[in-house]
Amino acid sequence: MATEAELAIIGAGPAGIAAALTAATAGVQVVLVDAQPRPGGQYFRQAPGAAAAEALPVRQLGASPVCVMTDTLVWGVFPAAAGTGWELMLSGPQAPSRLWARVLILATGAYDRPIPFPGWTLPGVMTAGGVQAFLKGQGRLPGRRFLLSGTGPLQVAVAANLVQAGAEVVAVLEAARLDWRAARHVAALWGQWPRLAEGLRYWRALRAARVSLRTGWSVIAARGRGQVEEAVICRLDDAGRPIADSAETVAVDTIAIGYGLIPSTEVSRLLGCVHELRMDRGGYVPRRDAEMRTSLPGVYAVGDGAGIGGAELAQIEGRIAGLAAARELGHLSAAEAGARIRREQPGLARQQRFAAMLAALFAPRPGLYGLADDDTIICRCEEVTLGALRRAVAEGAADVNEVKGLTRAGMGYCQGRICGELIGRIIAATLSRADDMAALRAAGCFTARPPLHPLPMATLIALAEEVGD
Amino acid sequence: MQTTGSDLTSVAAGEEAAFTVLVDGRSISARAGQTVAAVLGAAGIRVFRRTAHRSEPRGLFCGIGICYECLVTVNGVPNVRACVTAVAPGMSVETGAAKRHGDGS
Repeated sequence: MATEAELAIIGAGPAGIAAALTAATAGVQVVLVDAQPRPGGQYFRQAPGAAAAEALPVRQLGASPVCVMTDTLVWGVFPAAAGTGWELMLSGPQAPSRLWARVLILATGAYDRPIPFPGWTLPGVMTAGGVQAFLKGQGRLPGRRFLLSGTGPLQVAVAANLVQAGAEVVAVLEAARLDWRAARHVAALWGQWPRLAEGLRYWRALRAARVSLRTGWSVIAARGRGQVEEAVICRLDDAGRPIADSAETVAVDTIAIGYGLIPSTEVSRLLGCVHELRMDRGGYVPRRDAEMRTSLPGVYAVGDGAGIGGAELAQIEGRIAGLAAARELGHLSAAEAGARIRREQPGLARQQRFAAMLAALFAPRPGLYGLADDDTIICRCEEVTLGALRRAVAEGAADVNEVKGLTRAGMGYCQGRICGELIGRIIAATLSRADDMAALRAAGCFTARPPLHPLPMATLIALAEEVGD
Repeated sequence: MQTTGSDLTSVAAGEEAAFTVLVDGRSISARAGQTVAAVLGAAGIRVFRRTAHRSEPRGLFCGIGICYECLVTVNGVPNVRACVTAVAPGMSVETGAAKRHGDGS
């Protein structure tokens, strides 16, 4: 079975929903595809049975003419064989096998940036976003006694939610040093009152629960027989390296790690959009113009998947792309689309300033990439150690794809989503420094290939029968 | 597989068990909307599988379907992500298998 749409949007988080509602209101026929069972992404996630408490955009989506395909993986996107537009390859219990669309908006979101350390593959080490998803989506705690370690505001929110849900949170370790140097960013806080109030609420909740909050600290090892039993934590120097004599051991069963977010760029890379390395936006991101257009005609990219900026910025970008797509498809006049896009500019600029501030304050320092030792697994799927990766670099592998060819790192089920950025850092660190931009650019990023997710062979066989070859 | 000794805490009080699923041959209560990972967690199971090369234990990691660490066998189908797969009445879940290539159904 195949189907058609004027506009296909990949990802039903804040950015994708905003784009879908804006375009559909202008009269565009929209199909919104998402891998999760319900729309909302990570940000608007709700526990099962909590439909009455759905976030406003999710409710608006339900009342709109947008066709929402949940439980549907996009495993490939190709230029349509006939004429203009794009062909999306889908997989899911109720999904059609293919979807044709004239215009495409990528709103693929982001996931936690892990930092590897000895013991990080033990059951009980989770990402902060994973803990949050488990708590919000399932209404359960994924452990009893928690340590949070990472950088950025997400972990404070997760810790506060854990405390509220009755968990014991031993400590929240913020790897960044929030000292007087942070003061230069204070102007970006202007106008961010709801966020500041939210942050203050979390901070008070953690204070009330006597959770130890430490800045300039990180987990450096996890230990246990078969699962996490204790964590080694340590103060960091200015370069992010552990200061050995400050190490402490804490008994915990769950360590939540999250050193910022990585944009999910598999689809834009598969399509061949031009990407650029932007540390202020979370790594490799598609290059875009002011209306969120990528380097490919008819392909837009919005939200965290196009550069980390948070849900507010994501929704503004989604609306701008929705308006531009509606104009491109002939549903809005150039004058009206232009006027409405101009009206989004002050909010866009304010959220961009805030995102830039967070990126600058909470950038992981290079020493953190030196926590792993030669026996630490870096590619979790193929079980490739740091030592094996270093040997590949010593043997002359100059970029991540050459390292992949020599070691199998990045060839497993997750297709390099977890280790891709780490391997770039390891190459840069081996040849120069983990934060050397020229070295990181030279290390590049993994080539994305279909299928973007592992597929049952039955899906491919059924597709071959359908297509008739 | 290894357990934490007792059930992990449920946040919402007064949940009714809607149906049971088999986990490694044990009957475990579950309700609609739960993921396989949540049901395994409620049963005290943290080790979902062992790796193919080093036979190391692995469990829930990214929690959002990205990392493919939490693979279990569901109704005989190997390599199913526990974190994004909803439980269903009568479902049978097996932990412990090594992830292997070419095992897709």
